[in-house]
Amino acid sequence: MSRKQTPLRPYFEKMPEIGKQLREGEVRRSQANLELVREQEEIIAQEVERVKKAGMPAEKIHQRGGMTIYDRLEYLVDDGTWNPLHTLYNPADNEEGCTGVVNGLGKIEGKWAVIIGFDNKVMAGAWIAGQSENILMVTDMAKRLNVPLVWLTNCSGVKLMEQETVYAGRRSSGAPFYRHAELNHLGIPILNGIYGTNPAGGGYQGISPTILLAHDGSNIAVGGAGIVGGMNPKGYIDEEAAQALIEGTKNFKGKAPGRVETHFDQTAYFREAHDTEEGVLDGIKDYMRMMPAYDPTMFRVAEPAEPKLAVEDLNLILPANQKRPYDAIQILARLTDNSEFMEYRPDYGREVFAGIAKIDGLPVAFIGNQQGVFPGYPEYAEGAYPGVGGKHYREGLIKQGEFVTLCGRDNLPIVWLQDTTGIDVGDLAEEAELLALGQSLVYSIEQTELSMMCVVLRKGTAAAHYIMCGPQANNNNAFTLGTPLTEIYVMHGETAAAASYARRLVKEDDAGNDLTPVLDKMNQMIQDYQEKSRPVYSAEKGFVDEIVSLTDLRKYIQAFAGANYQNPKSITPVHQMLLPRIIKG
Amino acid sequence: MPELIAPIAGNVWKILVAVGDKVELDDEVVILEALKMETPIYCEESGTITEIKVKEGDAVNEDDVLVVFG
Repeated sequence: MSRKQTPLRPYFEKMPEIGKQLREGEVRRSQANLELVREQEEIIAQEVERVKKAGMPAEKIHQRGGMTIYDRLEYLVDDGTWNPLHTLYNPADNEEGCTGVVNGLGKIEGKWAVIIGFDNKVMAGAWIAGQSENILMVTDMAKRLNVPLVWLTNCSGVKLMEQETVYAGRRSSGAPFYRHAELNHLGIPILNGIYGTNPAGGGYQGISPTILLAHDGSNIAVGGAGIVGGMNPKGYIDEEAAQALIEGTKNFKGKAPGRVETHFDQTAYFREAHDTEEGVLDGIKDYMRMMPAYDPTMFRVAEPAEPKLAVEDLNLILPANQKRPYDAIQILARLTDNSEFMEYRPDYGREVFAGIAKIDGLPVAFIGNQQGVFPGYPEYAEGAYPGVGGKHYREGLIKQGEFVTLCGRDNLPIVWLQDTTGIDVGDLAEEAELLALGQSLVYSIEQTELSMMCVVLRKGTAAAHYIMCGPQANNNNAFTLGTPLTEIYVMHGETAAAASYARRLVKEDDAGNDLTPVLDKMNQMIQDYQEKSRPVYSAEKGFVDEIVSLTDLRKYIQAFAGANYQNPKSITPVHQMLLPRIIKG
Repeated sequence: MPELIAPIAGNVWKILVAVGDKVELDDEVVILEALKMETPIYCEESGTITEIKVKEGDAVNEDDVLVVFG
């Protein structure tokens, strides 16, 4: 008789359950909080709608018989698996109101891929300001997660009126060609579905991936037909030159170079040519079926399971009022399989929790800030001040450093749940070595080969936002999420105003002057900090990669875990893991 | 009679009930302010407020009685 089981069953099959059901009274008193969360979600939803409508109306594309990027993604991506990223990203605050590319993590034919396409409604997919930063982050993600990159190319090249914002510079729109070369060199395939006219920059966008599948009406070329038309030798355009251009343009009968009859029939760059847009996407699906991917059974330590506690509770548990504490374990319990968690050193460094959970049966580490007050802790500040959740102290920093290092050894991807006001400050904190311990955590993260993701549940503040694998952890952080309650700033606006103007206040007060002008400046600063830390602002500037509703967090964590374990470069046999043994003792 | 106790030292920021109010389990009764945080104090059982031993602005210590109810 054959028998099968998941590995290290005594440790993983049934782990300690965490969290509690919300009582009727708790649900009742949290309804106001739910309303506040919904208000923020509505603000975000309106911005998402604005971006989706950017450029020309979708109907115009449809009237020409074409598909928009959203239509193509809808056709390509497996139902229910699309996790958009960078939707509101617009770091250059350009006039288009978006970066002109749409991207996310999704499954195609049951396999995870990082997927990105040009928004063909926006200047026919031109290179616009801020776009290259978006693309570079996406190529980074494919490299970090070691999954295929799928491109839906439809790129008209440089937006010529603003070439200085896209063309030149270290991280300009030419940099992705090197990133594509790097991904190929690392063995990470890039599948490219090519639509429309793709000259110059579009041409290299077309040629640089691994597998090229083209729509019959598309082309990729070094230069476009307009450039082939010639240049004005005078250095300026006068009436004579204008007339020559007019004549030339009217009489121009050439076709854009690099069409299917060249690059399928002659050079054979294109593996496939399709007369329908759907045909190209079907071709991508065919190639995705060929992509390397372990069946999750290879790495599962238990059968997948939904959390036992209701995910909808998250909107009731996480206070919109940033001054209110909550039990972070109640949040975690609504993200993990069966609401289970194997906690590492729960009695040490109580201001943070760390441990192993299961996501779709796959082992995933979680680290996050606990909230509340800790009387008598930290030891180095006993008698001076109590510990406060959201801050980091000596034991918590040591615990996180240990845990991350052991996760590296055990190849456990890490989800960071941030709601942090910073690392403890002052003489006692310096004597307790917090400055070096903070950087030690950074080192611990950097020296692992792990993929990590970060969720800024509420506050991401000061150096603590960095050291808890914020987006600054360029080599490990696959992506960072915000929620409708996220606020990110170096410090709270009131603290910043006090730091900036306290001495001035003393001076003015000593001189017997009216303090109102200084107070006005301070309040303006507080207002400024408030506006520039909101979720939409954070997403636009790239402080986070996407704002997602609390109830969608688990979906993104599942995508992260699934992608991480699809084709990992390093494996720790589950029966050889150290962390579960350390936790059990 | 049941009492609502301060779990931490702080200042009484808001009192959300009056003597005679009927309260239920998990209702928010008092909000303390300490360490830049608002710490809400909730009822641990249902009852009627019989005495409020503090007023807004008072400093309280851990374990001080805030409200009595029956």
